[in-house]
Amino acid sequence: MAASPMDLLQGTLDVLVLRTLAWGTMHGYAVSRWIHQRTDGVLEIEDAPLYKSLHRLERAGYVSAEWGLSENNRRARYYSLTPAGRRQFAAEESAWRRYAEAVSKVLEPT
Amino acid sequence: MTSPRKKLFRLPWRTPRQIRDDVDEELRFHLDMRIAALTSAGLSPDAARQRATHEFGDLDDARRYIGAVDRDIEAAQRRSDFMNDLWHDMGYALRKLRAAPMFTLAAIATLALGIGANTAIFSVVNNVLLKPLPFPHADHLVRIRYTQQGHGDVATPMDLIDNRTRAKNFDGFSIIEGTTANLTRANADAERVQGVRVNANWFALLRIAPLAGRFFTAGDDDAGAPNVAVISEQLWRRDFSADKSVIGKTVRINSMPFTIVGVAPGDRRYPITVELWMIKHWAPNELVDQSRGARWLGMLARVKDGVDIAAADNEVEKISEAMEKQFPEILRERRAHVVTVHEFLVGEIRKPLFIMLGAVTLVLLIACANVANLMLVRATARESEMAVRTALGAGRGRLIRQLMTESVMLSLVGAAVGLAVARLAMHEMLGRAPQNLPFVATASIDGTTLAVTAIVALFTGVIFGVLPAMQVGKHDLATALRAGSRGTRTRPGANGAKRIIVVAEVAVAVTLLTGAGLLLHSFAKLLSVDPGFRADGVLTMKLLLPQSYDSTASQNFARALEQRVRALPGVKSVGLANFIPLDGGSENYAFTIRGHAPVRPSEQPSTEARKVTPDFFATMGMPILRGRAISATDQPGTPQVLVVNQAFVHQFFPTADPIGKSIALGWGGIPGGDEREIVGVVGDVHSFGLEDAPEPTVYAPIAQRYDHTISIVVRTAGPPATVATPLRSLVRDLDHELPVYSVQTMEERVSGSVGRQRFYASLIAIFAAVALLLSAVGLYGVIAYAVSQRTHELGVRVALGATSDRISRMVIGEGLLLTAVGIVLGLFASLFAGRVVSSLLFGVGALDPMTIGGVVLVLAGVAMFASWLPARRAARVDPLIAMRGD
Repeated sequence: MAASPMDLLQGTLDVLVLRTLAWGTMHGYAVSRWIHQRTDGVLEIEDAPLYKSLHRLERAGYVSAEWGLSENNRRARYYSLTPAGRRQFAAEESAWRRYAEAVSKVLEPT
Repeated sequence: MTSPRKKLFRLPWRTPRQIRDDVDEELRFHLDMRIAALTSAGLSPDAARQRATHEFGDLDDARRYIGAVDRDIEAAQRRSDFMNDLWHDMGYALRKLRAAPMFTLAAIATLALGIGANTAIFSVVNNVLLKPLPFPHADHLVRIRYTQQGHGDVATPMDLIDNRTRAKNFDGFSIIEGTTANLTRANADAERVQGVRVNANWFALLRIAPLAGRFFTAGDDDAGAPNVAVISEQLWRRDFSADKSVIGKTVRINSMPFTIVGVAPGDRRYPITVELWMIKHWAPNELVDQSRGARWLGMLARVKDGVDIAAADNEVEKISEAMEKQFPEILRERRAHVVTVHEFLVGEIRKPLFIMLGAVTLVLLIACANVANLMLVRATARESEMAVRTALGAGRGRLIRQLMTESVMLSLVGAAVGLAVARLAMHEMLGRAPQNLPFVATASIDGTTLAVTAIVALFTGVIFGVLPAMQVGKHDLATALRAGSRGTRTRPGANGAKRIIVVAEVAVAVTLLTGAGLLLHSFAKLLSVDPGFRADGVLTMKLLLPQSYDSTASQNFARALEQRVRALPGVKSVGLANFIPLDGGSENYAFTIRGHAPVRPSEQPSTEARKVTPDFFATMGMPILRGRAISATDQPGTPQVLVVNQAFVHQFFPTADPIGKSIALGWGGIPGGDEREIVGVVGDVHSFGLEDAPEPTVYAPIAQRYDHTISIVVRTAGPPATVATPLRSLVRDLDHELPVYSVQTMEERVSGSVGRQRFYASLIAIFAAVALLLSAVGLYGVIAYAVSQRTHELGVRVALGATSDRISRMVIGEGLLLTAVGIVLGLFASLFAGRVVSSLLFGVGALDPMTIGGVVLVLAGVAMFASWLPARRAARVDPLIAMRGD
């Protein structure tokens, strides 16, 4: 299986961000690192779309943001899931799982 | 849209610049963290920066995008904060208002009166002036007014021909001739209905469709065409049970057979009270140049779509000028003008309605002043509450907004109650509106009225709320807090505001009272006019003989009628006439005085003319001043005679003795006129209204000059109304196709003739009474409050030896001073109010000293009473209690 960069659809990225924030409150940089580590670099995600996604989710009410102090005492913007975001993530997650199952069923040798 | 998570405190609002800075800071933090991580992993700073930037992607695009998203978030936040505040303020206001039920009730009642009065009057204005007539393109439907030397607005038959052949800017013209119609159906009593004769294009001009059957068509106009009639929906439902089979049926109208061809929709009638439309068939001598002086017709026209009304007006004026050139003798200085049908109907009541609207606006202003004063008193009591909230961090703007929310809520509730007040008032008042005020009785509260009421309520809330709200936070916080829960000491500023409001209130009340006083005084003057006849104990009724009655039949009918009525029990005397005073009827003819040099037709004098029986003058109580009355011996074969009234003598025989003189009256198409000798002079009567000067009038014997219109006047021994029933059945016995109509006592006719004036005067009197009451309450409130604030001071004064007399004089003096200032200001405003109502006044000047003096006295008296109540309390102050209480 070759590791190749994938073009991520907006919606897909949003799901990943929601999944990440489901772990807890974190700032944008932490979100970025977390996704990189979890995907082992398979998905080469740029940071710009990631930040766009964070603010878009905030506008949609799935995420709330507050300024706080980072581990090295700098002002950082912390994001956390709202109840609506949690519900949204649950819905999207099951949709994704069904989708992935369907795709892998098609790809499985019969 | 925004986070539903409840924040414990509100984030301050951010400017677009702050948003941009925040975005930059967030992204910078990311890059710095990444660079630091890469450096510690062994990369050179430059390489680390390059790598981090590369990993990030399009930085500028991200910054723009995020900035836009954040501005959206910010805007949504502001909206939601506003709504949250409003919601919070409303809840708070509701609790506060419920905690002070007396204040709340007083304010709501005051506002309901003020707003309710406005809603009621506005709904009338809306119905009368704002709503278009129910015809397509009603603004192009016009009446044509013809005036000659300043009076009259009627057309001649030839005007129709002239306009139809010459005018280009019109779709069509139709004449209209009013008539009363005796309608007889099978198996039913004859009934008198209001009808008109029109041309066949009448309904085409209105552009309406029939409810059933058809309207007139071109052939109906033709000479010799069968008689056809259109009936109104009301008549159709009343007499024919809304049965469609009535179309094509024959009824008898004025003893002639007519076929009913159609039903006109009841809410789209013109004229608006008519029940029967017939075709105008021209007599042979009507559509000829010789009839150009015979003016009695109305004219309706429709201006072509897309053509300006002014252009149409110009065109009829041009046609009229051209005809004047052709017939200069008859048509001298005759003018033609178009006026929209709407204006034709409501033009006369526009001004009175606006005056009423002005009056209720003043009432509302007074109501606002009262509530503002109540709120000021409350604001003083709430100063410590405000101080606590300020101490807890509420800004002045925030507190003002809270107070404004309270006042707008008050006025909205007031408006809701006001709607109920308006409905009740309209139910009571509109039924009393005289019949000749179009569209008044049918006014109702519709969507437009509701919307206007809501807007008025919002404005009202702002007007009375803004001054009290602005008082917030004007004083020292620490003092207010220290004063504790009892409220702070009086501040001169707030009391000054209260005084100014009371002065303004009194001034407005003076203005309104003056206007009302002028109308009432004028109405009293009108009622005191001697009509020239004795109205008490007289019953009148009318009937219309059909054309089938010729001269002899009419005379016989009149003679038989008079004899039989005289024989009825309870009848003292009876007289007949074609028209009687105040019945709206008029006949006017040109005449020449025998022995005077002949004059041009347009300069011939003219006079009102009536036909009466010998006992008419005595029955009406009209005195014979010289010569003799009409006598039973004046018969067709004897010399032709006339009795003239005093106005006639004054105008045409100012120096000579009229008795024995002859005039030739131009009635009945007799060549050279009908020459008659004047045998007597009778007193003047007000034929057209108490406010109109008596017109020169001649009276001819009915025996020498019959008429199809007959009015019966009966002087009775007992109550006049009791002979109505025997009279009706007596007429039915004479001819069962003759309905009597307009059965009224003479007193009812007099009262009905001043119906409009009575309606206006009573409406404005009600508004003025409300205004007076409200301003008395306002004055009382301010003085009483001032006394309660000064209890301590008054106690000291009493302790120092002031007598209770002195104390109450002091308090009353303060009230009277405020009132005096208000009265003086109000009198200045009254100069303007007087000018506004002056066109509605009769026999009273706009600066009527009696009215103004009365208003000043009434207000001074009310002010005295309103200050006396608190003064009494002030005089009873116990110095010990007063001073201990501090």
